[in-house]
Amino acid sequence: MSAALRGPVVSSRFLGLSPRQWRTALVAYLFMLPALVLLGVFTFYPVGFGTVLSLFAYNLRTLLGMEPARFIGLEHFRALWSDRFFWIALSNSLKYILVVPVLQFSSILLAIAVNRRLRGIAWFRAAYYLPVITSIVVVGLLWRWLYEQDGIINYALLALGLIERPISWLGNPDLALYSVMFVTFWKGLGYYMVIYLAGLQTISPEYEEAALIDGAGRWQVLRHVTLPLLRPSILVASTISTIAALKIFEEVYVMTGGGPIFRTFTMFFYIFDVGFQKFDFGYAAALAVVLAVGIMILSALNFAVFRRGGFEYY
Amino acid sequence: MQRVILLTLILLSAALPPGAAAAPDVTLEFWTISLQPFFTDYVNGMIATYERTHPGIRIRWVDVQFAAIEQKLLASLAGRVAPDVVNLNTEMAIRLAEQGVLVDMDAAVPAAEKKRFFEGLWNSVRYRGRNYGLPWYVAPNVLAYNAGLYRRAGLDPLAPPATEDKLIAHAKTIKDKTNVYGFMPNVDTIRMLHRFQENGLAILSADGKRAVFNSPAHVAYLAKYVQLLKRDYFPEDTLRRGFLGATERYSAGQLGILTTGPQFLLRVKQDNPDVYAQTLVAPYPMGKGKTIHLPTMAVTIPKTSKNVKVAVEFGLFVTNDRNQLQFGKLTVVLPSTRAAAANPFFKQSGATAEDKARKIAAAELPFARDLTVVVPQAADLYRVFREAIESAFFGKMTPQEALDWAVKQWNARL
Repeated sequence: MSAALRGPVVSSRFLGLSPRQWRTALVAYLFMLPALVLLGVFTFYPVGFGTVLSLFAYNLRTLLGMEPARFIGLEHFRALWSDRFFWIALSNSLKYILVVPVLQFSSILLAIAVNRRLRGIAWFRAAYYLPVITSIVVVGLLWRWLYEQDGIINYALLALGLIERPISWLGNPDLALYSVMFVTFWKGLGYYMVIYLAGLQTISPEYEEAALIDGAGRWQVLRHVTLPLLRPSILVASTISTIAALKIFEEVYVMTGGGPIFRTFTMFFYIFDVGFQKFDFGYAAALAVVLAVGIMILSALNFAVFRRGGFEYY
Repeated sequence: MQRVILLTLILLSAALPPGAAAAPDVTLEFWTISLQPFFTDYVNGMIATYERTHPGIRIRWVDVQFAAIEQKLLASLAGRVAPDVVNLNTEMAIRLAEQGVLVDMDAAVPAAEKKRFFEGLWNSVRYRGRNYGLPWYVAPNVLAYNAGLYRRAGLDPLAPPATEDKLIAHAKTIKDKTNVYGFMPNVDTIRMLHRFQENGLAILSADGKRAVFNSPAHVAYLAKYVQLLKRDYFPEDTLRRGFLGATERYSAGQLGILTTGPQFLLRVKQDNPDVYAQTLVAPYPMGKGKTIHLPTMAVTIPKTSKNVKVAVEFGLFVTNDRNQLQFGKLTVVLPSTRAAAANPFFKQSGATAEDKARKIAAAELPFARDLTVVVPQAADLYRVFREAIESAFFGKMTPQEALDWAVKQWNARL
């Protein structure tokens, strides 16, 4: 090809991209457009609006156009420091994060257990995944019945002689949060199992076999071969799980309503309560901003701990 | 071609029923609480009558579950698609009235119409001196009890408890003798506020500016129930499940005595005919205050309605004597208007538990009033009260500490 022919091509570059590259980029963005529009409408706009809202006094009357929104700057954030319920909700949400390591570790073990070629293993995988696709409201109601004082769990424990009188799993302030956390654990197990199963299937069996030949025991193989190679999956799953734990709402709403004595009153439940019981949308937005910052910090922490994964670990 | 189009249009218009093409001038959206499926025909019939007598007005009826109505209403208000006429209970109505989004019924309803209602009920949804809801139906609690369990416990089913202390004694005997819980008292959430008042214990000072529910009498009353829970005379679930949990447990034959609105007998009848067959009813055992809490269902109009005048008119139609009487005959609730309540029907007793309950409830009306405590920042104050009561029940505070703390918190906000 002559220089004369190449010349115009070079001169037609715009912002360093050739027309062909522009076309490729355009096509790529067109493909992304539906998702971007949805994200824009249902994520980015609410995030932006909510952040702005946190700086305003905005109640039901404001919402209905009966009085104007009043700019109050950081007043809501200052009020948080002396708000007892904010600290109760924050403390409960932080306690709720305890479910994350237990859930992740159990999911990994479950994934290892079902990552075998056994008869009917597909059936087991499906059974463990079933709670994931069941509506959280249905799950909440189901567990509420199971947990009742005259429910099947108490019946079984009484029949086995393990307890003397029925336990109010959701009514006892010392147990309620952990009872709700168990439902999150039960529902999430299958979801994270699938993530880990996918991760395990990318690990060549040769590494584990080599370690076994070199004399490593099962536990050493798990600790020094499987888990390090699974770290990218652990990062994804633990980040998602931490975010979900901090945003817990439906289980609490259906099973305990935040009680007893506000022991299951989590941050997201408090946001709902302030917004839809007290109609103080500005303050609810401020709470949401604080929760979002908390989620970002914990996500960054997850990245810091699990970033070095796969072969990078060694 | 034009001829073909014309012919098609003529044929289409001939196929439609007369008047179908004409859109109504006004469409009102009417929300009720949990009236489907039992009262579908009644509400549809009432709407059909209204539409027939009010040409140009169409009513769109939406029935919402009790637990969901507040959230759904708020979402619709926020989305500016709120209904025109909404059935709410006193607590919900007061909360919205506090926000200033409900139509002031004192201003919207003519004096002659107001007089149709019992004065006490007209004042139920009163916030800062103004009324924000048309009282619809009411249902004072009655006592329902399982005669089979009574007999098993060695109690006489024909001698139901007439006082609260007697009720507690019966409940204890049932638990001791049958190992089935005797009762689930209505002490969950903020219901202890009603219990206090039923026992002649005031919540606020006469000027309404101070909370006074930490006197020795209040403390002793709360301590009595704390001890009952501690000694396992009612299940801990009571504090979480309330009267709905009690109804479920009673329907399962796992509760001796139920203090509930008489309409819940229909649920027992549907859920477990065997338990229903064993059910006897008696008047609600009154406390020392000689008054009974009367939860009121009201018809409210959000200010967002584009047709407030028509909405108020429809609200008055729903709550008129004829419609209330008809409704009262279908279920076990009582009307809020004088003329409907005076109908001999409410004085008749029948063979069924609900018929007897209706007569008992009607006789209780003179002692009944809505004991909802109307305070500013109600959501905050109720939350504090609930926390205090639960702390006392679960041993995190003594009853004295709990009530002292709640009173202090209330007084800081009142």
